[in-house]
Amino acid sequence: MSLAKFAVAAVAMSISLTALGAGTHGGGHGHSAKSGEPGKASDASRSITVEMYDNYYEPEAIEVKPGETVRFVVQNKGQLVHEFNIGTPEMHEAHQKEMMMMVEHGAIQGGKLNHDMMEMDMGHGKSMKHDDPNSVLLEPGESQEVIWTFSEKGNIEFACNVPGHYQAGMYGEVNFN
Amino acid sequence: MKLWIPVIASAVVSLSVIPVLASAQERMPDTTQRKQPLKVWGAQFEELEYRYSDDDEEAGVWDADFFYGTDNFKARWLTSGEYSFEERAYEKLENQLVGQIPISKFFDAKAGVRFDTPEGPDRTYAVLGVAGLAPQWLEIDANLYVSKDGDTSADLDAEYELLLTNYWILTATFDATVAFSEDREIGVGKGLVSTESGLRLSYDLIDRAFSPYVGVVHERKYGDTADYARAGVGSTEDWFAVIGARLSF
Amino acid sequence: MKRTLVAGTLSLLLPAIGLAGEYNLTVDRVTIDTGEFVKEGVGYNGKSPGPTLRFKEGEEVSINVTNNLDEMTSIHWHGLILPFEQDGVPGISFPGIKPGETFTYKFPITQSGTYWFHSHSGFQEPEGAFGSIIIEPEGREPFRYDREYVVQLTDKHPHASERVMRNLKITPDYYNRKQQTVGEFFSDASENGFLNTVKERLAWGDMRMMQADVEDLQGFTGMINGKGPEQNWTGLFEPGERVRLRFINSSAMTYFDIRIPGLEMTVVQADGNNVQPVNVDEFRIGVAETYDVIVRPKDEQAYTIFAESMGRSGYARATLAPEEGMEAPVPGLREPARLTMADMGGMPGMDHGDMPGMDHGDMGDHGDMVGENEMADMSDMDHSRMEGMDHSSMTMPEGGASDPFYAKGSGLVPTAANGGKFLSYADLKAQKPLYEEREPAREIELRLTGNMERYTWSINGVKYEDAEPIRLKYGERVRFKFVNETMMTHPMHLHGMWSILDVGAGQWNPIKHTVSVQPGTTVYMETEVDAPGQWAFHCHLTYHMAAGMFRKVIVEGGPESTQAASSEQLSEVGGDV
Repeated sequence: MSLAKFAVAAVAMSISLTALGAGTHGGGHGHSAKSGEPGKASDASRSITVEMYDNYYEPEAIEVKPGETVRFVVQNKGQLVHEFNIGTPEMHEAHQKEMMMMVEHGAIQGGKLNHDMMEMDMGHGKSMKHDDPNSVLLEPGESQEVIWTFSEKGNIEFACNVPGHYQAGMYGEVNFN
Repeated sequence: MKLWIPVIASAVVSLSVIPVLASAQERMPDTTQRKQPLKVWGAQFEELEYRYSDDDEEAGVWDADFFYGTDNFKARWLTSGEYSFEERAYEKLENQLVGQIPISKFFDAKAGVRFDTPEGPDRTYAVLGVAGLAPQWLEIDANLYVSKDGDTSADLDAEYELLLTNYWILTATFDATVAFSEDREIGVGKGLVSTESGLRLSYDLIDRAFSPYVGVVHERKYGDTADYARAGVGSTEDWFAVIGARLSF
Repeated sequence: MKRTLVAGTLSLLLPAIGLAGEYNLTVDRVTIDTGEFVKEGVGYNGKSPGPTLRFKEGEEVSINVTNNLDEMTSIHWHGLILPFEQDGVPGISFPGIKPGETFTYKFPITQSGTYWFHSHSGFQEPEGAFGSIIIEPEGREPFRYDREYVVQLTDKHPHASERVMRNLKITPDYYNRKQQTVGEFFSDASENGFLNTVKERLAWGDMRMMQADVEDLQGFTGMINGKGPEQNWTGLFEPGERVRLRFINSSAMTYFDIRIPGLEMTVVQADGNNVQPVNVDEFRIGVAETYDVIVRPKDEQAYTIFAESMGRSGYARATLAPEEGMEAPVPGLREPARLTMADMGGMPGMDHGDMPGMDHGDMGDHGDMVGENEMADMSDMDHSRMEGMDHSSMTMPEGGASDPFYAKGSGLVPTAANGGKFLSYADLKAQKPLYEEREPAREIELRLTGNMERYTWSINGVKYEDAEPIRLKYGERVRFKFVNETMMTHPMHLHGMWSILDVGAGQWNPIKHTVSVQPGTTVYMETEVDAPGQWAFHCHLTYHMAAGMFRKVIVEGGPESTQAASSEQLSEVGGDV
């Protein structure tokens, strides 16, 4: 790990760990990059089960209508920690830097999450808590729900940003019809 | 993946598709080349040169080495000579046949015979020597000789290569001969007999197989040996300009 | 390559297996054109490299190998788990294949991934006798890609291998043209001070070791898939596609540092086994290793695959491009590495930093005849103990690059050309543990030894010709401790059984078939002894192996079914190469 990378990661984190990736994100990635917004359970028209394996999703593509609210039941059926994160490719790329740091600090250790490390104060009141509404980070065997409203069409993927996983192909397409 | 092994193995055994395994105690011995000592041969001319002296004398000189053997034992033929174009005669002609074994990490011991058959009386010696690489990259070759008549002498050769570049190499050599007894018939007096110092600038033209060089060589005789030379027609000190090539096959 | 699927007819005979394939290979004299020189060599099906054999996990393969040479040959399936008689090492697995003879290899495919095959007879492998193997898994791959290419590297030398061996034995630095010169002395002196430089040169001269001793064999042309740098092998892609590159280092002697300027590579497999994906900018591939990476070129432009030799004496180059004929800039070679005293750390009785008090080669030293046993009375200097090391820590050592698999302060530690991430063994974690983790029954120490001035290479100070086999017991788990007491890197390859490299990750330790051991380091690997028979275990550098860095491993005992088997097959063996 080079000093340069550390600096990049640190800056990325201090910008905001929680704002990045959230639906109302208005940072450097442009306003066009919208992935939707957190939904209410009562609005969910249907439920999609997404199984996470090492290192791929089943299914690898889903279909939604603009404005639709979907309840995702995300299950980690692999042996490694995986993420389910809804966003644009640019958001994922930015989030991967944060995830990289979580690995480097031992917050993600292969098949385990170190919750103490994730709670640790990283200065400026930030932590490595992974509590954005557009994503869940699961240990093997865990299951959690994400309720999301796809407010408008866009280039949206659900992806695992644990270092290397996205690049290896752990992402799925959100197709609008 | 692992589950497959027993399934397939049992299928294989029952079908006899693959010859059955032998028990560990009776397996084939390795008689391949790999299990034999590596045999190596080499042929090198450390010096193959034309010399032109400050007395306008011309000579052809070589110093070569042919060997065959393994890490543990090598048979080596060392040959060196100096042919005088004026005299049309060999002023020096030495051939050694030695066996060579390693004695330490960087040094070998040699033992064998040396035949001197220049113009004039011949000599046969028993040879015992060491050769190898001393610290600071000095190539050393030191030998002790005992003639049939019991005359003993020794010589020491040292060589150092200075890499001006990875292809231009400046080689410094120094040889000294000492006699422990006099052999007047061949003009050798007791004590320091002679030295030869050389400086050669070579260029590796074809790998390290053909490296032409130019250089200077200084030869000097000492003590009684010098006196004997003065009494004859020989000189006691010479400077040579040399041109030649180092060869390795 | 001819591939005949005879599943239809054989399915009746082989109900338990279901899938069977027949493959044909001929071993031929071939002409190899590097673009810089043309040379006679050995190849398969008329070409070097030979074809890519595509197998499917669970398949029963039979491979007919016809020897069209006028000498014995053999094929070893590098990294494949198979019965030992099918492993293709003459004198250990079988007698070899005679001229004119066709030998049929038959074995089940029990794994998946990228592997290769090569001759194990004489110097046929460095002469070009190698090809690649791709095994499709039964299930899906744990990663995605749109297209794939084999990228098989080699270091083609203009000299015949027999001659290379002889030259190295006579003059070990015969091919080393990266030695320290007078010019380097002065540039070092101006940088580090005159006295320091003199002191340093004297220290190395005292040991009679060369700081420049990184690459024994220089003067080669690096080749990718049979093409030299000028011939520029090109793999096509559509922008946005994921491309899987299956890198195989089939070199005789050369480690390559590989990068694709402009692209990040995600390493997903090492030595055929899936690893947890790692994003890197550059990686070093040892001789005989394989690495699979996924790249995603997004732009409509060409990218150079640049493989620079570890000693910076040569390179291989290829191109990824949207169209044939496109090219990207080819980077220059970086400065050659210099060994440091840290790399000498494995040598017994060596004192770091200080002038070493070594035996000055005094003539009265009657050591072992072979001379290399002077290294035998080793003091245990273990500089890179892996246990308890936190590889994920962010500690920044002073003085630049560090990698737990190199000696601390080593001159060989690689750094990425773009300042980014360079893959370390410490980054490799198994994607899925292949074995249950358990305590090894015992530890076997293998000191990697040698004498550069004599070009002798050995294990525990003993060359293969004088060595007894290593005996393992079927069913045990053993821990191998490699202690590199030489100044060279050795890629150690155990046939027939997996090498579980200890990177300190417990059950996630990666599964390999070839383990590189850097100078001055100690590396541990564990092996589940699950394959009866006798196997080869050696340094995969061709000329180190030929000079004696080789062992036979005998696995005693075996599963019930094979112990009861007869020994009829013994009558056929005992031949020569």
